Amino acid sequence: MATANPRAAVDIPHGAVGRAEASTTGAGQPVIAAQDLVVSYGGVVAVAGMSLEVRPGEAVGLIGPNGAGKSSFLAALAGQNRAARGRVLLDGKDVTRLPSYQRARLGLARTFQMTSEFANMTTFENLLTAGMGVQGAALSNVVLHHRSNRAHNREVERQAWAVLHRFDATHIANLYGRELSGGQRRLVEIMRCLMRSPKVLLLDEPMVGVAPHLVARLVSDLKSLRDDGIALVIVEHALEVVKEVSDRVNVMALGRLIASGTYEEVVSNDAVQAAYLG
Amino acid sequence: MSAWSYYISTLAVYFGVDVLSGISLNLQYGYAGVVNLAYIIFQSVGAYVAAATALGPDTGAGAFQHYIFAASLPFPIPLLLATVAGGALAGVVGLFSLRRMRRDYQGAIMLIVSLIALQVVTADVPLFNGSNGLTGVPRPLSFLPVGPLAYQWVYAGWVFVFCAAVYLLVQWLSRSPWGRALKAMRDQEEAASAIGLNITVLRLQVFVVGGLIAGLSGGLLVEYIGAWSPGAWGYAETFVIFTAIFVGGLGNYRGVVLGVLLVPVVFLQVTQFLPQIGYPGLMDSLEWVVIGLLFMVCLLVRPRGILPERKPIALEGSSLQFAAPGLLHQLRRRLRSL
Repeated sequence: MATANPRAAVDIPHGAVGRAEASTTGAGQPVIAAQDLVVSYGGVVAVAGMSLEVRPGEAVGLIGPNGAGKSSFLAALAGQNRAARGRVLLDGKDVTRLPSYQRARLGLARTFQMTSEFANMTTFENLLTAGMGVQGAALSNVVLHHRSNRAHNREVERQAWAVLHRFDATHIANLYGRELSGGQRRLVEIMRCLMRSPKVLLLDEPMVGVAPHLVARLVSDLKSLRDDGIALVIVEHALEVVKEVSDRVNVMALGRLIASGTYEEVVSNDAVQAAYLG
Repeated sequence: MSAWSYYISTLAVYFGVDVLSGISLNLQYGYAGVVNLAYIIFQSVGAYVAAATALGPDTGAGAFQHYIFAASLPFPIPLLLATVAGGALAGVVGLFSLRRMRRDYQGAIMLIVSLIALQVVTADVPLFNGSNGLTGVPRPLSFLPVGPLAYQWVYAGWVFVFCAAVYLLVQWLSRSPWGRALKAMRDQEEAASAIGLNITVLRLQVFVVGGLIAGLSGGLLVEYIGAWSPGAWGYAETFVIFTAIFVGGLGNYRGVVLGVLLVPVVFLQVTQFLPQIGYPGLMDSLEWVVIGLLFMVCLLVRPRGILPERKPIALEGSSLQFAAPGLLHQLRRRLRSL
C-alpha cells in the first residue's frame, strides 16, 4: 500500500545538492563492486571478467580504446546488460539479478553514451520526474493521496530549482529536451541523476558534445559531487577530464582490465600505450 | 425536421463515444507511447458484455441468439460490467503482449490480437452469436417518460456526461506525477527505467485504464444502437480514431475532441452527401483511402497536430502552469468565483 506522504528520493538541504546518503557500510567499504563480471552478446564477449570497487566520495576513471567494453561494463553495473557471470554488489547487497529500475531505487544513477533526456518534456519536468521517487509517481498514490501529496510535490519542485540554481541552468528550465544543445542535454542528465540523491553515479562519456567553455564547469561540478560523498565511475575519452576528476584510473582493453592506478601511472604503462597505439 | 434532429442526435452519440475512444488512445499512445492497434477489441468486449448482461437468458422458446454471461441485469449494472470487462481484457492482453520490446513490434502484436479476436468471435457462435452478433439490447433509459426523439437527445446528454467525467479525470491523471512518468517512458524507456520507473507496470497500468474507458465506450454504444456484431469492429476502426488524435494533436485532450469532431464526424459524414460514383460500395472504400491520406498529410504538414501538447511552464515559487489552463482548473476557478 502506498504511503500517504512519500519522502522525496532526494534530500537537498541548503543547496548541498546531490549529497549521497551515508553508506551503511561506512566510508571504507565499497559502495559499488563488480566481481569477475562477464558480459557477452551472443558469442561475442564484450566484458571478460572485470572487477572494480568504488568507495563513497571516490571517483574512478574508466578508459580504454573503442570497443574495449567500457560501456558494456557500465551497463552491466546499472542493470541494462545482464551479466553472464560474476556479481554486482551495491552497498554490500548482491544486485546482479535485479533489473535496472530496482538498482536505481537502491541509489544507482547513470548517464548514457547517447544523451537520454526526455525530449518532449521540459528540463524542469525531467527533474521532477526523477525527483518524485517511486511512491510519488505511483498511480495508487496519485489517486488515493492526491491531497497529502501536495507538500511532497512542492518539496520536489523546490529541490529541482535548487539543482537548476546550482548548475546555473534556470534559463533552460522551460525548454523542451529536444530544444537543448548537446552540452545542455548532458547537464540535464546529470541534474536528473542528482534529483535521485544517488550513492553511485555512472557517467558514460559525459563530455561528448559539451562546448569547451562548459567542460571546465562540468569538471568542477563532478569534483564537488565526489566531495559530497557520491561514488563516481567515469567513462571518458577526454583524458584531461579523467585526470582532473579521477582519484584512480582503470584501463580496459578487449573486455579486460589491463592497468589500474593513478593517471600518471597508467598513461606511462606499456600495456596501456600498446592498447591505445596498437 | 425531426429527421435532421434524429440524424444530428445520432451523430452526437457517436461523437461522444469516439471522444471516449480518442481519450483512451491518447492516454495510451500520446502520453505513454503504447501502440494499441487492438483498441477496438476492448470496446467490443464492453459492448458484448453490456448486451449479454442486459438481454436476459438466451434459452427457451423463441431464443434466436446464443451468448455467454446471459443475464437481465438492471440499469446501470451492464454498463459497469462493460467497463470492468474492457479493463480486465486489457489486463490479460497486456500481461502477455506488453513485455519489453520495440514499439513497432508491440503495434504488430496488437494488430494480430485484434484479427484473432475477430476470427474467434465470428467462428465461435455460442460465445456472442457469431457473425450475426447480438440484437435487441434493451434501452437503458427507457424508464424516462420521453418520446423517441427526445430520448435520442437525452441519451446524447448521458454520453456527454461520461465524456466530461472521463476527460477531466484523465487530464488530471496525465498532469500528475504518474502522467509525467508515462511521458518519460514514452520519450526514453531505458532512461526512465534508470531513474527507477518500472516500465512493465506503467505500461500495464495505462493499458488497463485505457481498457476501462474502451469498455465503457462500447457499453454506451451498444445500449444506444441495440446491436453488436463482428461487422462493427474491424481492426480498421482503430485507425480512424488514431487519425483523429494525430490530426487533433497528440498529448492534448482538447486536440482529441477537435480531431474526433473533424475526422469521424465531419470528414466521414461529408462523404455521405456526395453523389455516388462508380460501382456500389466504391465511395465507402474510398473513405478508407482518404482516411489514410489524411493521416499521412497530417504527419507531413503538422506532425504535432492542430493543437499540440501543451508545455507546462515552471515559475520559481509557484506550481507548474500549463500554457493555457486545463478545463478542470477553469471549472474550479469558476466554481470558486460563484
